[in-house]
Amino acid sequence: MSSSSGDGIGKKELEHLAQLSRIEIDPKEADKLITDLDAILDHFKELQALDTANVAPMTGGTDLTNVFRADGEDDGGRESTNRGAGVDAFPESKDGYLKVPPVFE
Amino acid sequence: MEPLHDLTIKKFHEGLLNKEFSALEVTQAYFRRIKEHDKEIGAYLSLAEESATRDAGAVDVALAEGETLGALAGVPLAIKDCILIKDLPATAGSRILENYTAAYDAGVIQKLRGERAVFLGKTNMDEFAMGSSTENSAFHVTHNPHDHSRVPGGSSGGSAAAVAAHFAVGALGSDTGGSVRQPAALCGVVGFKPTYGAVSRSGLIAMASSLDQISPFGKTVEDAAIMFKAIAGNDPLDATSADGADYSGITDLDNPAKLEKIKKLTIGLPEEYFIDGLDKAVSAGVERAIDKLKSLGFNFKKISLPHTKYALSCYYIVMPAEVSSNLARFDGIRYARIANAKAEGEKLSEVYLKQRGEGFGAEAKRRIILGTFVLSSGYYDAYYDKAQRTRTLIKQDFDNAFKDVDVILTPVTPTPAFKIGERANDPLAMYLSDVFTIPVSLAGLPAISIPVDGAHASAAVTGKGDLPIGFQLIGKKWHEADILGIGQYYEKLN
Repeated sequence: MSSSSGDGIGKKELEHLAQLSRIEIDPKEADKLITDLDAILDHFKELQALDTANVAPMTGGTDLTNVFRADGEDDGGRESTNRGAGVDAFPESKDGYLKVPPVFE
Repeated sequence: MEPLHDLTIKKFHEGLLNKEFSALEVTQAYFRRIKEHDKEIGAYLSLAEESATRDAGAVDVALAEGETLGALAGVPLAIKDCILIKDLPATAGSRILENYTAAYDAGVIQKLRGERAVFLGKTNMDEFAMGSSTENSAFHVTHNPHDHSRVPGGSSGGSAAAVAAHFAVGALGSDTGGSVRQPAALCGVVGFKPTYGAVSRSGLIAMASSLDQISPFGKTVEDAAIMFKAIAGNDPLDATSADGADYSGITDLDNPAKLEKIKKLTIGLPEEYFIDGLDKAVSAGVERAIDKLKSLGFNFKKISLPHTKYALSCYYIVMPAEVSSNLARFDGIRYARIANAKAEGEKLSEVYLKQRGEGFGAEAKRRIILGTFVLSSGYYDAYYDKAQRTRTLIKQDFDNAFKDVDVILTPVTPTPAFKIGERANDPLAMYLSDVFTIPVSLAGLPAISIPVDGAHASAAVTGKGDLPIGFQLIGKKWHEADILGIGQYYEKLN
């Protein structure tokens, strides 16, 4: 990604990010969004002053070790919510499956 | 019957057992009060009158049949709208979930049901818990019960306002960067964020999973402790939930030997939190709290948390990165769909773009785009990786400080409640509202926000009270008992 406004996000970059995020951005929203994001990214510059070369990244909120459980129903795990209560919440379903518009165009 | 504004969990429990009132009477009294006054406040998004009435009636039956009831039996609670209660709406304050009904109970709701608590309804919030004022709700703004022209704080502003305005005895919110502690301070109630992992996140609509923690609001520290005790503990449906500590004694503090033990704790005052920019009313309030604690015999010590100033930048990289991933599930296909946003014969990709474009508000879009940016190829190292390393430094600051002190005291917010609209168009100004609560979240520590002058019971919904000020006590990981203990003694002074 190249940038048209220094280190910030330009119109083209915003379009690309919006596409990656699957969000339609109204052209009227775009200018304010770019201004806000640039101000926020500018604030982040303070981190550059910090020497973090020998610091390990903190990758989560906890230092607990991972917890495993039996995976599927067949292995003694719980019934998946998609076949349980979750189906009721689908806006459109058929025979207990989620109904989706065509994926391949 | 005890007036609703005097009712705490403890008083409710005693009154119920002494037959001063029935659980049903109290629940009905709350609904009457909500219907009369919530127009002015906007604390609730939806009410659950039918199920609440049924559950309260069942408590009365159980009591008549001689069942032993716990402290929360029949207690009317307000629940933030991002916490799932089966068969009730759960919008998380977002248009995209306007038509969603929860398919199951959150882990905390299951636990509270086991205690026979009563859920009055779901409270307003900033969309997907993104905000510090509850102005980002897609549905309506919530007003501060002490001054209706001001915000209640956020993102759990509806829950905080519900407790402050006596629309519930207690409430649940979620705290990611301060979303329970900050509105508690602005509304003059107690807000308590436990250690990350102490409470299950199952059934909480996720914002930033490494930071989110369901947290109680109460009128007193004791009430917050009672709710926390009920919802804490391991849940197999949240792999990061833990059996962290033994919390059995945290509400049992009427014991002089315990006071002597708690009084020996040393309280640290970090220089980075007592800055020139602090509002005068806030610094005076926090000084007042410190003086009161000194009169109780606590020792104070000056400390330093040198990386504090980097916490805001660190948080606003880590959190949006997690947001961009967590909110990918809201696509108009799986959970709920906005009416009219899908035309017949539309392709899947078009449904996504349109549903998400129309369904998310400005702040949600800003954070999703920002998160996508900091995670994208070419920028990951400069932003996301850098922020994760900074997070380690912030956590280490606390580790080092806790070698010298047991508990840390700070302000909760730089200012009291601000005017509605004042920061709405300036995201950075809004983000700065959480500057004193964010470092704790990044480090995963427990912290409590306590009103300096006690819960403002008299202000009710008149909108004419003084603006409350809070102070924050931060504890070591799994040492909730320390800050809850100090807090309970503090409020005995008021």
